[in-house]
Amino acid sequence: MRRAGWLTLILGFLAGCFVGARMVRLDRIITARFEGQRFRVPSRVLSAPTILYPGLDWRRIELRALLIRLGYRELELRGSLGEARVPLGHVVWSKRALRVHLRGFEHPRRPEPPRDIVIGLGGSTIERIQATDTGRTLGAVLLEPEVVGSYYGPDREQRELVRLGEIPRHLVDAVLAVEDQRFDSHHGIDLRRVLGAALANLRAGSIRQGGSTLTQQLAKNFFLTPERTLRRKLEEAGMALLMEARYSKDEILETYLNEIYLGQRGSTAVHGVGEASRLYFGKPARHLAPAESALIAAIIQSPNGTSPFRAPEKARARRNLVLGLMYRQGRIEAVVFREARDEPLRLAARTPELRESRYFLDALRRQLPEVYDEATLTSEGVRIYSTLDFRLQRLAAETLVAGLEGLEKSQPGLVAKDPARGLQGCIVVLRPQTGEILALVGGRSYGLSQFDRCTQARRPPGSAFKPFVYAAALEPAPQGATITLASRLDDSPLRVDTSNGPWQPRNFDEEFNGDVGVREAVERSLNVATARLALDVGVERVIDMSRRLGIRSPLPRVPSLALGTGDVSPLELARAYATLANGGVRPEIRTFDDLVDAQGRTVARREIEFRRVLDRGTAYLSTSLLEGVVERGTAQGVRRAGIHGPVAGKTGTSDGERDAWFAGFTPELVVVVWVGFDDPRSLGLSSSRVAVPIWARFVREVTGGRVRGAFLPPPDVIELEIEPATGALAKRGCPVRQAEYFVVGTEPTLVCPSDWAERDPGFELDREADRLREGLLRWLKDVL
Amino acid sequence: MARRGWVPLLILCACAPLRGPDATPSGLHLSELAGEGDAERRTSLDLVLQGLGEDASGRPAAALAEYQSALRLDPTNPWVYLALARHHVDGTQPERALPFLDQARALVEAQGSDSPRVEAHLLGLRGAALVASGRPVEGLPLLEEARALAPDVWADGHLSAHELQ
Repeated sequence: MRRAGWLTLILGFLAGCFVGARMVRLDRIITARFEGQRFRVPSRVLSAPTILYPGLDWRRIELRALLIRLGYRELELRGSLGEARVPLGHVVWSKRALRVHLRGFEHPRRPEPPRDIVIGLGGSTIERIQATDTGRTLGAVLLEPEVVGSYYGPDREQRELVRLGEIPRHLVDAVLAVEDQRFDSHHGIDLRRVLGAALANLRAGSIRQGGSTLTQQLAKNFFLTPERTLRRKLEEAGMALLMEARYSKDEILETYLNEIYLGQRGSTAVHGVGEASRLYFGKPARHLAPAESALIAAIIQSPNGTSPFRAPEKARARRNLVLGLMYRQGRIEAVVFREARDEPLRLAARTPELRESRYFLDALRRQLPEVYDEATLTSEGVRIYSTLDFRLQRLAAETLVAGLEGLEKSQPGLVAKDPARGLQGCIVVLRPQTGEILALVGGRSYGLSQFDRCTQARRPPGSAFKPFVYAAALEPAPQGATITLASRLDDSPLRVDTSNGPWQPRNFDEEFNGDVGVREAVERSLNVATARLALDVGVERVIDMSRRLGIRSPLPRVPSLALGTGDVSPLELARAYATLANGGVRPEIRTFDDLVDAQGRTVARREIEFRRVLDRGTAYLSTSLLEGVVERGTAQGVRRAGIHGPVAGKTGTSDGERDAWFAGFTPELVVVVWVGFDDPRSLGLSSSRVAVPIWARFVREVTGGRVRGAFLPPPDVIELEIEPATGALAKRGCPVRQAEYFVVGTEPTLVCPSDWAERDPGFELDREADRLREGLLRWLKDVL
Repeated sequence: MARRGWVPLLILCACAPLRGPDATPSGLHLSELAGEGDAERRTSLDLVLQGLGEDASGRPAAALAEYQSALRLDPTNPWVYLALARHHVDGTQPERALPFLDQARALVEAQGSDSPRVEAHLLGLRGAALVASGRPVEGLPLLEEARALAPDVWADGHLSAHELQ
């Protein structure tokens, strides 16, 4: 007996030591996780906010779809708009107006308050915006940014962390009612629940009910595997006890609410009530209604089995079960219960991430400060306020894919057997004045290839490079500009001896045109005339001009550079064209404005930066030349596509038709389209048939076919009439006249007809009268 | 044709004095331009005015957000660049105002919005930016010119957000 007693004591002691040691180890695991970084929160990239203002074409921006994407719920109009009760995050449409209760949103520079507004509609135009509370007319309102995407870790978990104090009480009540009604009183394990579950399972003959408390669930999700073994169960119970001993109920509850798995958004796992609220209702958890809270609590048990998207009836039934529990446990009033129970499931539209935005996200990541490496971005919940225009991005992706598919349909030879080696393309869209990337689609499918052809590929731009030659030639130099727009160029056979042998450029149509005007050379994209001009200007000056405009890639110091044989990326080409569009001011490329850490502190900020690199006159003359390409030249397809207003641009087809480019701009947008194969092979088509239609379709969609603004000449550029065949100043009696622009001081000295002064003795007098009239006009303008 | 072109000019000349003397133009207030231009320009200017209000209230980050929205709507609006230049002159990096002033000048000139009242601000802000950046030799003469053009605003060598608003 005595021996047995000792044995029991020793065994008991050893078991105690074992359990103690085990508990110490578990405690270490718990504290390490709780005291360290509890959650990996992927950083989120947000688009630029949409601005609504009187005069905006609301149909073109697809306002209705936009509001649905942002999680605004549509209510039926009962009575008048002004009298309707429109809760936060809801919208009511009538024929000539809509009333929307905008949610406020956080913004690092200027948070937007919630606003209840009426938007008056006249046809497709917003006529007025009025605040319903004050009746004040508003000039502009901002809608919250859309989520462009997130930087996920290997687990592809997304969560939006919430604090217990900022979520509605009914959400907590709903979760407790269904998952752990005695959470406030137990110490980690609820024996009554365990017994109840055991009995229920015994009756059912299988495991139907779990007896785990919320703390146990947290222990399991946070630290353990989902296997159902006794050892795992004991560890779970031990950990639950330890957690309860170490941490407050609030801390445990908050951690649970942020950890719990609540469904899928495509391939991304949605964790926590904050993210679930975004997924199912398109709004922050703090704005949840009781019925919505109950739905979230309802799906904890089986997020995919009771997914309201996939099984709405099942989800609704379980939601009502939760509401019933809440009512029976005294957590909600009868009236709230009844109202919530009768509510239909009003879910947000499912908005899968735009996969093609990943190219932009990758480009943005390369612009971030170095400290924001992959590990940081995938875990620290940084919010990045990007420059991306969500609508433009979507349109760019759609247009590129449709354009490439259309090409393959019309030219079956372009279809590759292996999709990974198929026809590719990219579109990049910049705002020339600010350098903001508004859209970037680096390929037709991010899933198929993550290689970004807009920023990572370098390909020969062909004739899309020529504007840099002409800009260099038009720019005032110490010895004077090489050409004016009235100059004549030589498009006759050319042979240049180089270290690689003779170089003999040819035109696209294999013809030589002899004496041609500058405009004709650009509009018809004549290679020989341009090559000869580049030789006159000097390759060094052409390279210098390209550098100043924004080309950074290495450029070969060879005569053929003029015809675009140096590889460049679409993005740098876009930047160089942006400099021309911006009157000679080169913008710094920006992908984001603000970077805000998880605590809401702005940790990085990008301001607009630009620098004048070219005089306004030369930039304007170059732009004017490129307008001609669209009006009469190789990019007439732009006009045929129904785009009206100021557009300039240049096509480019590389040697062997391997690359098709169109770099074009309006006063407010620069768009570069590239099409080709990753392993360069011939498209068998020119850029006019490949890249221009894609460009035109995109810009037509964006602008509605009416481009805003104008390319305006600076004061030192004047318009005169010339005789195009000779470039002489055209006067009365000159048989052919054509308007042309000149920087003051570079006007032609020749006059047409050559005997003008003799034939018109009043010529000098006329000139004097012109000057006087201009002076008077200036004076009047000042006075008036 | 040439002779007929003189007729409206002469009528305009005759009418000009009726508008009253305006020998000393005051500095331009952007609110005077409200309602001009198309929808984008009007809203953009409205946002600039709000931005100036934020600047005047000591909320520079909010002001920048307004200017940024204004640029998004109408990137060729010269008044955004003018307001941004003013914002930077009062900020910690006054030299950042200079490219914005260049841009504002380019746009007002191209759009025909230049006038002595605008010129006063362009010169004055450039002068103030240069002086604040430690380049008084270049800046002070410009401030003098601005003073001469708009003494009511530039007498103190500073353009407040309120004065531009």
